[in-house]
Amino acid sequence: MTIHIPETNLPKALAASRMRGIFMLLDGYRWIYATAITSLVLSTMAQTTIWLLLAWFADSLLASIGVAGAAPVAMGDLLTLAGVFLVLAAFQAGFSFNSGRMAARAAEGVALRLRVALFDHIQWMSFRALDKQQTGDLLQRSTSDVDAIRRFYSDQALEVGRILSLFVVNLAAIMVIHVPLALISVVSVPLTVIISGLFFKRLEKVYRQYQEQEAVLSTTMQESLTAVRVVRAFARQDHETDKFEKENLQRFRLGRRMLTMYSLFWPCSDMTGGLQHVVGLVVGGLFVLEGEISVGAYVAYAGMLHQVIWPIRELGRLIIHFSTGIVSTRRVLEVIGEEREAQDEGVRPDRKLRGDLEFRNVEMHYDEGEAALKDISFRCRAGQTIALLGATGSGKTTLVNLLPRFYDYSGGSILLDGVELNEFSRGWLREQIGIIEQEPFLFSRSIRENITIGVSRDVTDEEVFAAARAAAVHDVILTFPRGYDTVVGERGVTLSGGQKQRLALARTLLRDPAILLLDDTTSSVDTETEAEIRAALNVLMKGRTTFIIAHRIQSLMRADLILVLGQGRIVQRGSHEQLLGQPGIYRQVYEVQERIDEELEREVSHA
Amino acid sequence: MPETTWFEEEEFGDVLDGRTLRRILGLVRPHWRHVAGFILAITIISILESWFTYQGKRIVDEVIVPQDTSALREILINYLIIVFGFALGVFIFIYLTGLLGQRIQYELRQRLFHHLQTLSLAYFDRTPVGWIMSRLTSDTERIAELVTWGLLDTTWAVTNMLAAASFMMIINWRLALVVLAVMPVLIVVALWFRQKIVLQFRLSRRINSIITGALNENITGVRVVKALTRERANLREFRVHTDDMYRASYRAHWLAALFLPLVQLISALALSLIVLRGGQLALEGALTIGSIQAFISYLIIMLWPIQDLARVFASLQQAVASAERTFSLIDTQPDLEDRPGAYDPGTLKGDIEFDNVDFQYEPEKPVLQGFSLIVRQGETIAIVGPTGAGKTSIVNLVCRFYEPGGGAIRINGVDYTRFTMQAIQSRIGMVLQTPQLFSGSILENIRYGSLGASDDEVFEAARLAGADDFVQRLEKGYESGVGEGGVLLSTGQKQLISLARAILSQPDIFIMDEATSSVDTLTEALIQQGMEALMKRSTTFVIAHRLSTIRRADRILVLQDGRIEELGTHRELLRQRGHYYRLYTRQFREQADRVWDSWNGVTTGPALAE
Repeated sequence: MTIHIPETNLPKALAASRMRGIFMLLDGYRWIYATAITSLVLSTMAQTTIWLLLAWFADSLLASIGVAGAAPVAMGDLLTLAGVFLVLAAFQAGFSFNSGRMAARAAEGVALRLRVALFDHIQWMSFRALDKQQTGDLLQRSTSDVDAIRRFYSDQALEVGRILSLFVVNLAAIMVIHVPLALISVVSVPLTVIISGLFFKRLEKVYRQYQEQEAVLSTTMQESLTAVRVVRAFARQDHETDKFEKENLQRFRLGRRMLTMYSLFWPCSDMTGGLQHVVGLVVGGLFVLEGEISVGAYVAYAGMLHQVIWPIRELGRLIIHFSTGIVSTRRVLEVIGEEREAQDEGVRPDRKLRGDLEFRNVEMHYDEGEAALKDISFRCRAGQTIALLGATGSGKTTLVNLLPRFYDYSGGSILLDGVELNEFSRGWLREQIGIIEQEPFLFSRSIRENITIGVSRDVTDEEVFAAARAAAVHDVILTFPRGYDTVVGERGVTLSGGQKQRLALARTLLRDPAILLLDDTTSSVDTETEAEIRAALNVLMKGRTTFIIAHRIQSLMRADLILVLGQGRIVQRGSHEQLLGQPGIYRQVYEVQERIDEELEREVSHA
Repeated sequence: MPETTWFEEEEFGDVLDGRTLRRILGLVRPHWRHVAGFILAITIISILESWFTYQGKRIVDEVIVPQDTSALREILINYLIIVFGFALGVFIFIYLTGLLGQRIQYELRQRLFHHLQTLSLAYFDRTPVGWIMSRLTSDTERIAELVTWGLLDTTWAVTNMLAAASFMMIINWRLALVVLAVMPVLIVVALWFRQKIVLQFRLSRRINSIITGALNENITGVRVVKALTRERANLREFRVHTDDMYRASYRAHWLAALFLPLVQLISALALSLIVLRGGQLALEGALTIGSIQAFISYLIIMLWPIQDLARVFASLQQAVASAERTFSLIDTQPDLEDRPGAYDPGTLKGDIEFDNVDFQYEPEKPVLQGFSLIVRQGETIAIVGPTGAGKTSIVNLVCRFYEPGGGAIRINGVDYTRFTMQAIQSRIGMVLQTPQLFSGSILENIRYGSLGASDDEVFEAARLAGADDFVQRLEKGYESGVGEGGVLLSTGQKQLISLARAILSQPDIFIMDEATSSVDTLTEALIQQGMEALMKRSTTFVIAHRLSTIRRADRILVLQDGRIEELGTHRELLRQRGHYYRLYTRQFREQADRVWDSWNGVTTGPALAE
């Protein structure tokens, strides 16, 4: 069963201020978290009640021994009291558990929602937005930053709540006993909080240096280990060791510095706390002597004093840690704020695409500045093959990327089966288009899944085998120890470039697209497989409008239309024969490639 | 490098191994003074803390109840002694413990790194750098943590309980026994429970790594995901993992949240016993109010260390696993070592002879078999052939990164295993396919080839390598940083720097593994020029991918499945119209295509002009 995730408007939290932003993530879990905090306070109250009861107990005891004036205690009273203590302790424990449980639930819920939102948002991000992202950075935001936010709710914020409630509830109880005593008991607390805040702030600086040095040391080790061949080839082991020792020693020194700070801060803090404790105990005792409070109240006070003085010291440290959660919130929300692609808006015809295509004065810009495509006009009928030729950066890939609407054109129009391309939904278009890249991306799943991953329906084994056979990869797959269940990237199985490509071919065959986009498909393959791939490609191309991006004239000679691109424009167009018949780049390229072959022939025969 | 050696991660169990534990403790033996110091400090602190509580009892019993302030002065003095003594003790134990932790990490890393320098390359070929890095970083930290703070916390827990128990016994031994009866229950429950929590957290960590994997794949393959319109299906699959994660993590935190209340509940039992039995004793006049108050405080004092103790025991297992892995690295013996009586021949100049060499990385998987070849002093040999044919193996053997399994390699007629490794490797210059640079300046990187070289010598080497031009154009010239591993430079630039590095080292043998990735034509020409400088003075082995390199070689060695398929000059081999011919024509066409493309569509003159 899927876990329910409450809806929320995450991008709104991005606009909010820093501190508010992180609390807006709690949307939908507010009541749960409020329950956690309330339980915390109730748990503290139960504990404090135990102390107050103890006051009554002590006074009664004294009375029955015959000192002051309360009602005497009998054995039965003792039993009741012990029972009440147990009940109160059960309350304390129960609420304390409930608070941890609820906080964990809210924190896990927040993390779950963020993980899912990030995963989903990255998938739906527009290509323009994706181009600006870095893989490692996105991954870090989706993992460690989400975890930092989770910890904020499950640990840090809760701990601050615990400390504050201990302080407030116990202080209030002491005030009930005697107000001046309460004030004397906390006289040093503001100072302690401020000083610990300042200390941890300073410590953080040294800590950061220490972390940086740790990173330097890691890099040094990592480099030295990665480049071990170079180290050995130049016999530089000693040099490496020296370098390492220097950084290692520096880390040790910084560690010692940090440690010295700690070892000075804590005793000071302990001393302040200890003196405050002594002052409280002694002054409280004097109040008893003066008859201001009872002996029992003093006993309870001594217990509660502890809770007021000691935990509060941690506050400074925890509040400094808050900044981590806030920074992480920001980083996560930034991703979610990136532009999203609407895949579903637009027409989703019920039929298959035919594949008639017309470009009219199409223009495309990546960013402000030079047009990446300009004045592109051509037309082709369903089933025809269009070849794109041109230097790197001439716009070949940009042009084919328009068809699945990876990017939108900024001028002119593209008519697909007579309908403006922008009117089709992206999702539908992409289902109609098959893409085979130069280096196909395979998922770390089984080979079977890699073949079927492009179709949403259930696929029979026969269909998978047929696709693999047509892509000339079936026999290869069978040689793997686990056949179609072999997981790509699994130990011991390495797929060659050609095999990967044929898997991609099989995947595309199964999708049965109306339009094919082939990016230089045979260039990274060795001669033996090239023929097989070419044959498989011919099967695939039959009856589909196909775009081929190629470098060698040989692989595009048979295209129905060849477009030669230069700096985003069509510089030449026509069939192979037509283009050969006119002066221009195409003929030059052809001649160069011819000449290369001749040159080669000459060299070989003269050898 | 062998392509099929997968690193088998050994399973290191969590079972406490007495031997490992002893070995871990062995790490602190040289520092026993530190340990004795912080143990003494924490013991004193424990006693002071109990004594502090005892003063509270005295205030009630000796001052408040009898309404007599005469004892107050003494109590106050005691308090001050305790507070200052406590602060001093805290200072000592934090400082000593922390220092020892830092020192042990420092020493352990030092030892590991030194040891790594002695291991042979075969070790690095089969061990991922990431694995070694974890040993050097997180594992050393965990071990240090155990022998310092872990030891401290354990001592504290024990001394604290002993001190509190002693004071309770002094105050009233009968009530003390009642309270202490609860303690074993508390400790057993706490440890058992902690164990369960640890297991649950381990489960959620495992799911977390699955999630990270899924995220990673989805991010790297996002464009394909979109092209295949897999978004919805992927999200559905991802939801399964995140939901698992939610459940596991929630359960772990649920258990963790139960821990403290459970301890509280059991201790409340002790509290009730104090009230019940203590009240009774008080009524009989055998116990004072102050004593009851003190008992309650002692109960609280004894409670805190139990949590810490449980935490220490939970991390103990992890630390032991870390230690086992770390010790396994320390125990690894180098596969290759200098033979007894190995010497430095002074030079590696001379013919290099492979005499019937057999070689394998893994048993039963021979890479070279009966390989024989004589390379003349100063000759340049281009090695070509498909992946896995054994090209890199030949280079590895020449460098003596590995030694032949059968047959011999002789330099100048002497079996090279009679030389020291240092003698061989310090006279070899090497340029790798993916050039490895170190963070630092370009100057430092080139100087790596000869540490004592003057700046001028470095510049000269850079000029010879053809690197000088681009370096001069950089804003800071030779002082420019190259970034981690050289990321700030292009592949071609990195290659030029590593060529300069090799030139500076004036090697007797030069080894070059050409990059397969294309660099622009200008850089390409520069690289060729740099290689020329080295080829002239050294015996050279090139794993060749470029035609110009191949053509310039004295002889070409075509490898196929670890055997010499063809051997001869360029012309001879072309005439044979065999393997080399096919390889050459294919490469010729490809390279010609690239040349056209890098000219951005403008082709003039012959495509292969050099």
